[in-house]
Amino acid sequence: MSATTPIVSSARDASVASVAHAIDLVKTYGSGITEVRALNGITVDFEKEKFVAVMGPSGSGKSTLMHCMAGLDVVTSGHTFIGDLEIGALGESELTQLRRDRIGFIFQSFNLVPTLTALENIVLPISLAGGKVDQEWLSFLVDQLGITDRLSHHPSEMSGGQQQRTACARAMIRRPELIFADEPTGNLDSNSSGEMLKFLRRSVDEFHQSIVMVTHDARAAAHADRVVFLADGQLVGEMLSPSADAVLEQMKLLGH
Amino acid sequence: MWKITLKGMLSHKLRLALTGLAVVLGVTFVSGTLVLTDTLHSTFSSLFNRVFENIDLQVRGVAAFSNQSGAMAVREPFSESLLAKIKSVPGVEVAEGSVGGYAQYVAKDGKAVATGGAPTIGMTYGQDQRLSSLTLVAGTGPKSSDQVVIDHGTAKKFGFNVGERVKILLPGAPQYFTISGIVRFGTADNLAGATIAAFNLPTAQRLFDKVGQLDTVDILTSPGVNKTEVLRAVQHVLPRGLEVVTGQTVADENTSLMNQLLGFLSTALQVFAFIALFVGAFTIFNTFSIIVGQRTRELALLRIIGASRRQVFQSVLLEAFLLGLVASLIGLGLGVLTAMGLDSLLRSFGISLPQGALVFSMRTVLAALGVGIGVTVISAISPARHALRIPPIMALSGVSGTTSRSPRRLLVGAVVTLGGGLILVLGLVKGTISLVGLGAFAIFIGVGMLAPLVARPMASVLGRPLAMLLGVAGTLGRENSMRSPRRTAQTASALMIGLALVSTFSVFGASIAQSATGSIKDAIAADYIVSGSMTGAPMSGISSAAPAAARIPGVSTVTRVDSGVFEFQQSVVSLTAISRQSLSRTIVLRIEAGNALSTLSGGGMLISSTTANAKHLKVGDAIHVRFAKTGPTTVRVGAIFKPNALLGSYVVGDGFFQSHFASSTQPVVLLLQTSSGATAAMTRSIKSGLSEFTNLKIQTRDEFIQTQQAQVNQLLGLIYALLALAILIALIGIINTLLLSVFERTREIGLLRAVGMRRRQVRTMIRAEAVILSLFGGVIGIVLGTGLGIALSSSLRQQGITDIVVPYSSLVVFLVLAALLGLGAASWPARRAARLNILDAISVE
Repeated sequence: MSATTPIVSSARDASVASVAHAIDLVKTYGSGITEVRALNGITVDFEKEKFVAVMGPSGSGKSTLMHCMAGLDVVTSGHTFIGDLEIGALGESELTQLRRDRIGFIFQSFNLVPTLTALENIVLPISLAGGKVDQEWLSFLVDQLGITDRLSHHPSEMSGGQQQRTACARAMIRRPELIFADEPTGNLDSNSSGEMLKFLRRSVDEFHQSIVMVTHDARAAAHADRVVFLADGQLVGEMLSPSADAVLEQMKLLGH
Repeated sequence: MWKITLKGMLSHKLRLALTGLAVVLGVTFVSGTLVLTDTLHSTFSSLFNRVFENIDLQVRGVAAFSNQSGAMAVREPFSESLLAKIKSVPGVEVAEGSVGGYAQYVAKDGKAVATGGAPTIGMTYGQDQRLSSLTLVAGTGPKSSDQVVIDHGTAKKFGFNVGERVKILLPGAPQYFTISGIVRFGTADNLAGATIAAFNLPTAQRLFDKVGQLDTVDILTSPGVNKTEVLRAVQHVLPRGLEVVTGQTVADENTSLMNQLLGFLSTALQVFAFIALFVGAFTIFNTFSIIVGQRTRELALLRIIGASRRQVFQSVLLEAFLLGLVASLIGLGLGVLTAMGLDSLLRSFGISLPQGALVFSMRTVLAALGVGIGVTVISAISPARHALRIPPIMALSGVSGTTSRSPRRLLVGAVVTLGGGLILVLGLVKGTISLVGLGAFAIFIGVGMLAPLVARPMASVLGRPLAMLLGVAGTLGRENSMRSPRRTAQTASALMIGLALVSTFSVFGASIAQSATGSIKDAIAADYIVSGSMTGAPMSGISSAAPAAARIPGVSTVTRVDSGVFEFQQSVVSLTAISRQSLSRTIVLRIEAGNALSTLSGGGMLISSTTANAKHLKVGDAIHVRFAKTGPTTVRVGAIFKPNALLGSYVVGDGFFQSHFASSTQPVVLLLQTSSGATAAMTRSIKSGLSEFTNLKIQTRDEFIQTQQAQVNQLLGLIYALLALAILIALIGIINTLLLSVFERTREIGLLRAVGMRRRQVRTMIRAEAVILSLFGGVIGIVLGTGLGIALSSSLRQQGITDIVVPYSSLVVFLVLAALLGLGAASWPARRAARLNILDAISVE
């Protein structure tokens, strides 16, 4: 099962709907002799209602890929899509709207606004858009995440795990098409980390959420449906239904 | 450590520039004021030296009152016959008598030549060029009684030429003269804007009502003789009541009088410069506090790698010192440029000053650098001490310590506030302005220290409407303004002081204006008031205007009000004289004791109840007074009257006045009562009846009251303009704090942007915070200022501020203005925050 297939192009099964994809992504920083190619012609496809992990050694471009695909960074060349929408063509204000309405984010740290309570942080994307909170969904989410009794607390009064779960609720509150999670367990102890990953897994299985997670932790990647490997700004392999050991093995091959 | 400090400073240029700007502005004001006053000093002293440089000795009357001396002293003229005696003293080469008085030109358009406060001098044209400070540039000296010599400046400005006829306003009726010549003062066109009309001696004596008399005799000593010996010899021949001094003494006296007046101007300007720097100190203190807070990890790291506490302390202070030095130097340079600007600012408010070459003294440099560096370093001491207490472990934990509420600070704040209040009250009771200032100063510092206590709840209340109005962006702005009460309070404190002072003066000004209006209504019953162009100052021409006014059809009563000075109880005080005829129709005189009419006609004196109480005088008392012309005499107190804005403290009848003062003395105002009241037709006919006296102001009672109010408002305008600098500095403080906050919250803003906050919403968030900050400072400042204004006004009840007025609408305008200024101050930080690169923001580690 855990076979790796080198990827040349992403000519995947057309029957699997794509939530986001990128074609020939190039991202360079600087110019001339100081030019750094963070992404060097990546073509990748993220399926709907799947949990995909992006792995690679430091400097492989995995975070850059996520930033570009989420419209946080501007690509040098190539095309990025969320659903059928090409985000390279979007202006600043449309990008903001896209992030607010269709994408959820979970970062490694500093996920919450310190002046707002947990509840205010969770509903922030809705407050910013000026919409109405789906109370049922909200109470379901906070209940599932076990932070119901923390809603009136400020981030400084919560543990790291609680903060990340709050961030998770925030990411999911608008039922976005896609959640980008950037090392979401990077700062957590193994207990909190495990719970977090289990919840992400469940949200894909039970609530049909699509998730792209950047990580360098093989155990975290093992919760995904698929892992894509990056090295030197290029896609160098992928693995379906990964196990932690197989992922670790693959990473060693990549010189991790 | 030097290197680290310097590199740290260079990496935060913007922050430095903004902090430095507060110092730059303050120092600019200080040095500008010093340069301006130094320049005026030197202009005047060189001017007076030039005027008197040809005169070796001068004979004049001794000061009439014991406690007066120098150029301000009242001196009586003396008999012309003395001139021959002086001439016969050995060593006296030339001796010339002269008299002076008021003479104002009328321009070709029929309007009196305005000098903007500079004197309009009528003088004697000397026969001997060796004694004269005047140099003819065209024509000849005045030979006959209808000739005049005019100064080059006035001639040029108003297009007068030799041979032309010119109308001149004089103590008596106006007269026409032929211009026989044009003169300069040495090389200057005129005397600091003063106009000169020089006549020959007999003409001057006649015009100024001093026939057979002289004001001074100027002496040139023979070459080679000892001037001191000549001085002694001249003194020997002089009768009692006359003295002889050197020309240099006269020049020095004039210079020192001018310096006194300039000193007042200088002090007033310095007070505002001080206020600006004081506000600047709050801004600097706040900036350094935030910087030290933000650099906690960096400073802790320095400690870990071996920097001593002392070195950390010094590094912060060194930064402050260098900042102060650079800012002061820039401020000094700008100050010199501003000296000219300040001059034109004053000019635009009607205070005219002569032009001269800019004087840039060492004192200015030292004061500017001392004040600039001093304020910066002192403001940084407390933050530096805070840096000193950072434990090295902070570098590892990375928790930037949020300073907890320190009870000691609050206690000190409370003590300083209360102490300031006590000093203020003491100052108000004793009437010592410096104590009042010190008290207000202490209150500001104390309230600034206490402000963090109320910052959270107040920001919460003030921000609630914004949060409701602006949604989540407003809520976040409100939360941000509440998260660090100390920073909010410190930032708002600067604005608080500015607005407190503005409000103080607003309440004070409104009370003065209201009291003046009320007291004029209570003092004057006349329909029309005729005065000189400067209210209160005796302006000539009115003497002859009085009979002219009486001849105007419809004018039923003309009351002439004279004013002079006399000595009473070792001080020189002013005396008002009125005629008893139809008194009640023009003046409101409320008698408390005695009989006014019989006192006025019987040579007695009326005293206001305030003065009578203060000096324990009652009807029937005989008081010892002294007049310049007639010497000591005794006057009986005939009546006590309620304070009257027009009359002052001491009032006598016109008969008494004429017997103790020269007949050429000019009245201060004429009060006209008409049969029809103040109507447009009446105004026209009075104006045409007095058209000859072009320097007179003819106003109805309502116009007169409006003029008084306008004068108060003009002064308020000047004060507001000067306070604007302090408010500007406070706004720079707000900009600075917001920029630092935006910098500090880079990640937070990045996060907000990532989860969907629009740029516009980011800007709204920052602006909401700024508005809350400004409103916080504004509310405290206005409340404090209103309190100070009421205290100040009430303490001056005795001086005539009888009504206390709180101008609510103005105060509301100030508050709205404060909010708008805050909004303006936020625009740059808000733009910066909105433009933050999200990626940079979230990937900062």
